[in-house]
Amino acid sequence: MKGLLEHMGIEPGRLHFSWISSAESTKFVDVVSQVTESVKALGPAQNFIKREPKVA
Amino acid sequence: MRKAAYVQYAQAVPLKYAIDSANCIYFQKGKCRACEKVCPTKAVDFTQKPETVELNVGSVVIAAGFKPFDPSRFDSYNYANYKNVITSMEFERMLSASGPSMGHVARPSDHKDPKKIAWFQCVGSRDLNKCDNPYCSAVCCMYAIKEAVIAKEHAGAGGLDCSIFFMDMRTHGKDFEVFYEGAKKQGVRFVRSRVHTITEDKATKDLSVRYVTEDGALAEETFDMIVLSIGLETPPETVELAKKLGLELTSGRFAQTGSFTPVSTSREGVFVCGAFAGPKDIPQSVVEASASAVSAGQALAEARGALTKTKEAVPETDLRGEPPRIGVFVCRCGINIAGVVDVPSVVEHAKTLPGVVFATDNMYSCSQDTQDTMAQIIRDNRLNRVVVAACTPKTHEPLFQETLINAGLNKYLFEMANIRNQDSWVHKENPEAATQKAKDLVRMGITKAALIEPLPEAELDVNQTAMVAGGGISGMSAALALAGQGYETHIVERSDRLGGQALNLHKTWRGEDIQAKLAEMVAAVTKNPKITVHLGTEIAGVDGFVGNFKSALSKGGQTTSLDHGVAVVATGAGELRPSGYAYGKSPRIVTSLELDKKFMANGALVTGLQSAVFIQCVGSREPERPYCSRVCCTHSIESALEIKRRNPDAGVYILYRDIRSYGERETLYRQAREAGVIFIRYSVDRKPVVEAAGDTVGVTVFDPILGRTVQIGADLLCLASAVVPNDNTALARFFKVPVNAQGFFVERHAKLGPSEFATDGVFLCGLAHYPKPIDESIAQGQAAASRAITLLARKKIRMNGQVAKTNPALCSSCGVCVSVCPYKAPSFTTQGPFTGKAEINPVLCKGCGLCVASCRSGAINLKGFDTNQIMAMLEAM
Amino acid sequence: MSEFQPKIVAFLCNWCSYGAADLAGVSRLQYPPNIRVVRIPCTGRLSPKFILSAFRRGADGVWASG
Repeated sequence: MKGLLEHMGIEPGRLHFSWISSAESTKFVDVVSQVTESVKALGPAQNFIKREPKVA
Repeated sequence: MRKAAYVQYAQAVPLKYAIDSANCIYFQKGKCRACEKVCPTKAVDFTQKPETVELNVGSVVIAAGFKPFDPSRFDSYNYANYKNVITSMEFERMLSASGPSMGHVARPSDHKDPKKIAWFQCVGSRDLNKCDNPYCSAVCCMYAIKEAVIAKEHAGAGGLDCSIFFMDMRTHGKDFEVFYEGAKKQGVRFVRSRVHTITEDKATKDLSVRYVTEDGALAEETFDMIVLSIGLETPPETVELAKKLGLELTSGRFAQTGSFTPVSTSREGVFVCGAFAGPKDIPQSVVEASASAVSAGQALAEARGALTKTKEAVPETDLRGEPPRIGVFVCRCGINIAGVVDVPSVVEHAKTLPGVVFATDNMYSCSQDTQDTMAQIIRDNRLNRVVVAACTPKTHEPLFQETLINAGLNKYLFEMANIRNQDSWVHKENPEAATQKAKDLVRMGITKAALIEPLPEAELDVNQTAMVAGGGISGMSAALALAGQGYETHIVERSDRLGGQALNLHKTWRGEDIQAKLAEMVAAVTKNPKITVHLGTEIAGVDGFVGNFKSALSKGGQTTSLDHGVAVVATGAGELRPSGYAYGKSPRIVTSLELDKKFMANGALVTGLQSAVFIQCVGSREPERPYCSRVCCTHSIESALEIKRRNPDAGVYILYRDIRSYGERETLYRQAREAGVIFIRYSVDRKPVVEAAGDTVGVTVFDPILGRTVQIGADLLCLASAVVPNDNTALARFFKVPVNAQGFFVERHAKLGPSEFATDGVFLCGLAHYPKPIDESIAQGQAAASRAITLLARKKIRMNGQVAKTNPALCSSCGVCVSVCPYKAPSFTTQGPFTGKAEINPVLCKGCGLCVASCRSGAINLKGFDTNQIMAMLEAM
Repeated sequence: MSEFQPKIVAFLCNWCSYGAADLAGVSRLQYPPNIRVVRIPCTGRLSPKFILSAFRRGADGVWASG
């Protein structure tokens, strides 16, 4: 999946997977923070965004 | 102190205010009535008087509970005078996120973060000198460890030093021993000592204590805070109530019950559960609650349903052809949401979105009156989709779906936006971003709502027959309870007789003769016309699902089939065959069960015994079996007393790690000490050494009190061997239920669902769940039956409507869905125009969506989580 | 002027991570407000199409958690 994204010009660091059980709230917070940080570091996504305005 | 108008506590049902007349100015001084004037709904009524209501009932269940012990009377701990000495209950409130300090632990004297806290165990328990509570309160060891671990976690990097002063660490509950070992690893210090006195530094309010360490040295230490682990006791009002009802009480002032009738009081028709039937934790209380319900119901089985009122069903509105008319309710949840998120702006935003015809905010959406208002709004505005932005669908979706049903809407025309648990609570410091997130989440929910459709729920008859796997004590008690309520029950027992492990046992801790009681129970089962017993029979396979199981029973190579609606798993456990301690090298070295057999047979070995040694924790609380077997301490003490009864001069030694005679079993421990049984503690890294030499058994053990090694020559060595589960893998696979690392079955919920599985229609009791004594096994057998009956009594069940459905026109018959489904829901159609195409049984489908994602042809849709719905949510983001 | 705030789509399994997220709320743990949660019944429901679609709709990141 990450390879496919890279192929399309999306940095693999934008996609994250994790496994957290329903009791692991602290792990949840750790992962959210880490995912947010890693995406933040990559800056706004520039590629693959549908450019033309969407007709509602 | 609370105000005169108060809510009992945050989770009270109903969550309504009441007036405390002792603190109300109007009731005390005759003037005020301010609340009456400001109440917009005119709910305050000062004319109300206490009234006596008379009820005509067939059975009574008493669940009067306990009162936390009040340590003010202990002058040596100075709880009344030293601010930083608090009770465990007060500490519990400090740790609670909804408590007075919002989950922050602070010293009462100066509100500073404590750096060093001590817990003192057994305050108001196991104590006949300073109070009249001879029993162990059974829960304090575990809650103290839990409090210490949570406090340490909350303190985080700043660090918190936690010490627990105890006599015996009693972590005999399921998974408790692992938690105890984990706490040690996390740095909680355990000190085996009972501290006598606390002194306070007048200036700093620090608390210093002096205590004797195990090797006899005197130690002195200072703490910032001391938590008294207070015990449980029966309040005087309950003692009074028991007197009025003519109920017998134990020496510890708990309701007297019997091991074979664990929830029956001394008075017929009056049942008991929870801490009034002896101090106990939540799971055991829940077990007894179910057990007492089924026992109370048994006498009334014939009258069941006679007084029930049937709720009038609101006909479901036909929505075909109607465009979406979406109603949005944004919950303030008091200040829980509105304190962070700008609720009015979220409402305004919702109003601008396509399809939304109504949007408003609620103070508490889940309150009964708001529910009624919402149903009215739905009808008045002819809403056909409802979005509630509030807490979490995991807890509140069913409630709001009920509101939709009451308003005549299909319950699936509902969507929730989680703006509390996943927004306002977790972004407190950032109200702006939280409001933006709330708007996004509401918009995503509304967009999805526009695409959702009413879903039908498959309805299914529940087969009214029960199958009980296992004919031991717990299985039989489950069967008797089921049959007592009129249900056909089949007991499947692998061996050739009923009774299970109880056949090997001599006496209960209360002194009841187990074989006599067991024979009565077996007779009751055998002659009950509703119970069929299949001896020498094994379960070879299970097909089907809740309400419609089909089990293959194999007996002597022949297989028959049994249709049943529910199943109770009561497959029991066995005794570990010890390795080590010279077991097998001498006829004088036996296990606990072997000793019981000898008592029952009055064999040569147990007559004229001069000396006997018991070694505890043989195979339990070891790395390969990291659990306490719960029954062995009490069992060995009872056997030691039996030897003393037969020969009062016999020397009897119990070598133990912690004596875990929990609850009122503590009285037996005291009796044993009074009778002269000698207890010597050993530590796990210095185990006793056994030598079988000639006609005696030599046992060498290090006595930490004497500080030297003791040698005992014994006529008998009894090894208190672990309780080990049977091999449950096949049954676990048949019913799709989990087994833990130690081989015990895993219940639905460790606290709130101890007698049932997460798999619908399958229930659990007895030793297969966790080691437990006879009274608890019987209570759990009754509890499993009670839970099963709630399902059987419904006669029909409705299945979740959010299931996968195939479109046969697109299906390429590749079979991927058939092979990936963990629940065997998809299959190939065998007749009609779509023969060979996949179809999905909505009853078996759990709605996980695995087949949907794996279908190459896009031929499967998951109702309620459709591809177009999820895509629309992404679009709305 | 203000720091870049990415938009991240989180596909959370109803039984696991979604529960953990609820519990994080109950425990009042605090975390960055950038995720937008899409509740799915199980990660098995997650199809690569959703991930691609999320990026296509302008998400800066996607997080799938079981």
